[in-house]
Amino acid sequence: MNLRSIWILYVRELRSALRERTIVVNSILMPIFLYPVMLWVLFSGFNLVQGLSEGVTSRVIFTTPAPAGHGELLDSIRAREGMSIVGWENLANAREVSESGALEGVPLFGEGEALARLREGNADVVVTFFEPPPEGQALPGNFRVRLRYDRAEGRSVQARDRVEAVVEVYRNLWMVRQAGTLGIDPEARFQFALSSENVSSSQDLGAMVLAQLISFFLVIMVALGCFVPAVDTTAGERERSTWETLMTVAASRASMVTAKYLYVATLGIAAGALNVVALFISIGAVIRPLLEDAGESITFSIPLKAIPIMMAGAASLAFFFAAAMMILASFARSFKDGQAMVQPVYWLIFLPFILGGQTDRNLTPAIASIPVANVSMMIRDAVTGVFIWPLIAQTLIVTLATVLLCLVAARYVLRFEDFLLGSFDGSFWRFVRDRMSAGKNGTAY
Amino acid sequence: MMTTETTPTVQVEGLRKTFYDESRGEVHAVDGIDFDCRPGEVFGLLGANGAGKTTTLRMLSTVLRPTGGRARVMGHDVVTEPEAVRESLGFYSASTALYPRLTARETLEFFARINRYPPDRVPERVEELVDRFGIREYERGRVEKLSSGMKQKVSIARTVAHDPPVLIFDEPTVGLDVLNALEMVKVIRELRDEGKTILFSSHIMSEVEKLCDRIGVIHRGRMLAMGTLEELRELTGEHYLEDIFVHYVTRTEGVEGVELGAMGELEPAAPGDGEGAEESIPQGADAGGEEA
Amino acid sequence: MTRRRERDRRDLSVLATILRYELRMLLRDTRTILIAVVAPLIILPGWILLSNRVERSDERRLEEAEYRYAVTGSEAAWAREQIAQALAWQDPDSDRPAAPFSFVETSVPEPDSALLAGDLHLVVDALSPADFAAVLREELAEAIARAEAAAAEGGGGPDARAAALAQALEDSDFPLGEVRGVRLLYRAQSDFSRNAQERLEERLRRIRAAKRDSVYRAVGFPVPVETVAVVVEEDVASAEKVAGSVLGLVLTPFLLVLMLSGGSIIAADALSGEKERGTLETLLTTAATRSEIVRAKQLAVMVVGLAVAVVNVANLAVYLGLGVLDLPQGLQIGLSVGQTLALLFLFLPLATLVSAALLFLSGVSKSYREYQIYFFPLVIVLLVPSLAPVLPGMELRSVIAMVPVAGIAVAVRDVLLSGVDWLFAGIAFGSTAAAGVLIAGWVENSLSNERLISSAELDEADLIGGAALFPRHVFQWFLGFWVVFFVISLWYGDDLGAKGQVVVNLVGIFFGGSLFLIRRYRLPVRETLALRLPHPAAWLAALVGAPSALLVGVGLAELVNTYVFPVPEELLRAFGESLAEPGFPLWQMVFFLAVMPGVFEEIAFRGVLLHGIRKRWGPWATALAVGVIFGFFHVALFRIVPTAFLGVILAGVVLLTRSIYPAVLWHILNNAMSIVPFQLGWLPEDFTPPSILTPVAVVTLSASLWLMWKTSPREPRLAPRTSPSG
Repeated sequence: MNLRSIWILYVRELRSALRERTIVVNSILMPIFLYPVMLWVLFSGFNLVQGLSEGVTSRVIFTTPAPAGHGELLDSIRAREGMSIVGWENLANAREVSESGALEGVPLFGEGEALARLREGNADVVVTFFEPPPEGQALPGNFRVRLRYDRAEGRSVQARDRVEAVVEVYRNLWMVRQAGTLGIDPEARFQFALSSENVSSSQDLGAMVLAQLISFFLVIMVALGCFVPAVDTTAGERERSTWETLMTVAASRASMVTAKYLYVATLGIAAGALNVVALFISIGAVIRPLLEDAGESITFSIPLKAIPIMMAGAASLAFFFAAAMMILASFARSFKDGQAMVQPVYWLIFLPFILGGQTDRNLTPAIASIPVANVSMMIRDAVTGVFIWPLIAQTLIVTLATVLLCLVAARYVLRFEDFLLGSFDGSFWRFVRDRMSAGKNGTAY
Repeated sequence: MMTTETTPTVQVEGLRKTFYDESRGEVHAVDGIDFDCRPGEVFGLLGANGAGKTTTLRMLSTVLRPTGGRARVMGHDVVTEPEAVRESLGFYSASTALYPRLTARETLEFFARINRYPPDRVPERVEELVDRFGIREYERGRVEKLSSGMKQKVSIARTVAHDPPVLIFDEPTVGLDVLNALEMVKVIRELRDEGKTILFSSHIMSEVEKLCDRIGVIHRGRMLAMGTLEELRELTGEHYLEDIFVHYVTRTEGVEGVELGAMGELEPAAPGDGEGAEESIPQGADAGGEEA
Repeated sequence: MTRRRERDRRDLSVLATILRYELRMLLRDTRTILIAVVAPLIILPGWILLSNRVERSDERRLEEAEYRYAVTGSEAAWAREQIAQALAWQDPDSDRPAAPFSFVETSVPEPDSALLAGDLHLVVDALSPADFAAVLREELAEAIARAEAAAAEGGGGPDARAAALAQALEDSDFPLGEVRGVRLLYRAQSDFSRNAQERLEERLRRIRAAKRDSVYRAVGFPVPVETVAVVVEEDVASAEKVAGSVLGLVLTPFLLVLMLSGGSIIAADALSGEKERGTLETLLTTAATRSEIVRAKQLAVMVVGLAVAVVNVANLAVYLGLGVLDLPQGLQIGLSVGQTLALLFLFLPLATLVSAALLFLSGVSKSYREYQIYFFPLVIVLLVPSLAPVLPGMELRSVIAMVPVAGIAVAVRDVLLSGVDWLFAGIAFGSTAAAGVLIAGWVENSLSNERLISSAELDEADLIGGAALFPRHVFQWFLGFWVVFFVISLWYGDDLGAKGQVVVNLVGIFFGGSLFLIRRYRLPVRETLALRLPHPAAWLAALVGAPSALLVGVGLAELVNTYVFPVPEELLRAFGESLAEPGFPLWQMVFFLAVMPGVFEEIAFRGVLLHGIRKRWGPWATALAVGVIFGFFHVALFRIVPTAFLGVILAGVVLLTRSIYPAVLWHILNNAMSIVPFQLGWLPEDFTPPSILTPVAVVTLSASLWLMWKTSPREPRLAPRTSPSG
């Protein structure tokens, strides 16, 4: 193998790749634009849904008057923003109007009609007051409220929650007054105050979000970045019949294959790196405002130590994907076939999704032995500032061993002349059947 | 084989095709061409690559829509009755490929059917074609597995699957080896002898010389000359077709913008040819056309 | 008559032949079928199973984990007592023992740092009344300070949390300084820490409630506290309906994705693959008409798409039936025959649209790879409207029924929920089917498009480079600009302030970007920016047109708001550009918000962008594209309607007058009119023009555009249909 000729071939591959639209789109544009576009859509969609559901009016329908002395409860339901009482606008038509002071003006409906309206979606919650449970009857004025709603309708659930919240506030107020009349001092009534407080710094929170996103998307993007180049440089060349031309140049086949391999891995690494940068730039624009609305402050930063780990991770992933995809794709005769052949490698990228569900999970010896998932976990650890060096080493060794295994397989496959020259008809099974049984008819180069 | 008294099955009058290209502006690929051919005749279009042969033939087969002029096949206009035109012609070119995953037999059946050959007679027709083109041995093999010679035979068979009266062969021998090319020429001869009208294009002089009853020399979208080989020899004083071709091409290239109408005299009225071909070269059309 | 019938019969036979062979060829493509259809059938449930397993084991780990905590603060001894009670607490209503709960107090020298380091899951900080009061006051002060700081920066809404906190302290009779406080300190980024906090807090609340109850009872309160004003919830929805509500949201997107991925197997090959292999030309020279070819292929795509969808659903059903996979708890799916038929009826146009769209993609792509580039965006374009039922308050009885895909999605939800309004379901059916037919028509046209059929033609633009390449790259560049614009406005928007943002966006991105593109592609400046004086009448037309268009735009936005979906007023205001900034003199406002956008936005959008698109598309498509892209450059999705409308009109103005100047004038006027009258107090802040003006404005706008069209300078046409024959 001649380093110079590898370099020349490598540069040629890269140059022509950058002129190929499919490769540019998949390996360069996608990683850059995916986040801003995706996050923007998410951001707009989230705001829209939130704004819309805030704005939905809850239509409350009453079947009984409020118990005596609790007119205030109705007032607070009526006063709450986003609530409307069914039949309010044409009180005169209501069949029954309560006579007790504060309740005046609440239109009542019969059970059947109220429920029918609820079912038809013309009302969101049916409110019925009735007597308290037996053990609660001793308290004068005590009551129960039945809220009938439709769990299948979002706005009905929302209406139930709103009414429930109003009742809860009202109940507290009532109990406070009771405490006053009974002479319970506030201290005894409150017992103790309880609050929960998150002590994580905004950097920690940011690191968690970043770690989660980077560890997933880096894997996807590296795979995507390798995908088209790997298929194009093997199956694609065969389809365009440039493969044979290439075989006639004065470089050894080994250096040719090495150059191609390096080129595919380079694009994989490039896609991964671009993706991390794009993520870093655009994430603050969307996630930060969203979380800040929720009352959390968040800062995004990556520990310096994590950067070499991320790079090592991206590179080892790229070398793995490049090797695995190129071997599979080289069995194909056309680009389309090649893509189909490579699909199985793609399924691996879901592994990190499954294993990464829990935020506390760090690298373990078991995870460090699962290809792809181990690198993803290693990167996640690194971004959150956890460095378990022996396991990081194990991860890298396992990945490199997998890569090596792929390369050995590649070397074996490439020993066959017909395969190399492209006269091979592309059936994977045929290859296995013929060659594995009688490897001797292969010619070593 | 000389033209007979029958009426022409293919008539082309002032046919032109102008492309608009983002970068080059207007491109006159075919710039007013007239010719016609009759049953039992092979009419050859001779020209260099990019002369407009393929564009002309594609317009005849209704794949492209003419920008101007008229063309009729079996009396059907290519613009107004494209289906009827296609029903009565078979188109073969190096770029018309076959479906790789169909067998040879299925290919023939498929093309006979979608070309509206009477459905009840399709099986019979397929048998006939299989025998005639010697496809029997591999009729059940998938096209993707066939050798290029076999593919060629299937391809010709599919062109005539619906027994059309007019056949167009656009550079049929491109990429074929000598034996296959000879086979192709042989088949075309046979088809002519059966009374088909055949349009043939090529840039290979020897083929045209051997096969064509009449020859049209086409260059930069214009018909420079038209006639039997003998007539062309007489007019130019050259013997070999190659020299004849070069003669015409250098004349136009050399004297750019010359009254092309003068070329008309090169085209004598063919014996028995009712319409004189003198007006076949349009006058006053702007020259060149490469610059937008 | 008989002849016609004969012809129809033959048409069908051709169609059937193509369809039959298309499917036969697909079935022979064993590799594709294995990988694209069979493998996912096995793999998908496998993944679901695996992920369920992992999820369950994750849950178990949370359940069974040993939680380490420390107790700090002056009242530690008291707190330990409370915790012990809390851990021993049993739910009186349930006979099942509470979930295993392993809390271990761990003594560490520095509990706070141990928590941060992850050695502890929880720190319980028990404070004496005085300390707790101090902590609470401090927090409140901080929150108020934050709110004030945000308000001072301008634009920032009031801190809801601070307000609520202050309100709560004010209103309640909370005995500040008299009760002890328990603070649970945890780390939000750790699932375990969060779980420990949630579980302990829940139990502490329970024992506190029990204690309160006993206090009330001790002084003679007649009933248990928890029996006071009890809320009883009663769900009237049947299990089927609840399942339907979930299914109604996911069914359409799910089937859509299945149909897209299934149909794509054949669609990719149907036209783009045929072009690549050269068989399309063979097919086009046969007697089959283009519409027969398209219809047969569309049918094939539809059949395969539906088949893949059905197979996948059946596959999932089998796994569910075998108990390998579980439905989410409480979900019961049961469809009546009527519902099933209704769903089939509604999915029919969807399948038509999907197959037409896939085929269209295939038709405009020259190769299999090109097809793939466009596939993902197509999935997004179709998927987004199918999510319409997710929007709260979305009803089928609205204009949504007329939006393809979205109407169907909402109708499907209604079928599964409560019954559907068939009139509107019919409209949804019609609109989606019409879209499908329209797109199928485009496919037919694409088969007549010479540039698309013949794949082998040399692409000369690549050789010439420069200006010739620009039309093909213009969209990519503007996407890039958009990203920069978006990131800057969201990331640095607050730091820059309104003026800074205007300068960066207009001068930096729009003007700088335009100059860059002109240089990069060596574009002819005069022609690109349409720098030429228009017919004098165009000025007059612009003067009339600008106010009319503004009114029409307002009317249009209102229309969309009323009939498509109502966007709450506050939301619009929150996203509106904060035009009115305090201490901003009027002339500066006019300069920064009217003159500068008028000049620079026109240069970028109606100059460079328009120039690029015009070379490729017809005038209508060009104006529409320029307008929509312009709309997207206004960040907030809700403002897209009025801005895109303005963009379309301005693009039209440039195309009609062949000059950019009237558009610049128009744009300046447009912006100035939405500032000056309000600033000078001529109109109240919340002024909305009377709706009677809208029809008048439509008329004057049309008149103004008509005037431009009439006086439009006639240029030699670019591509004459027929050249003059000699």
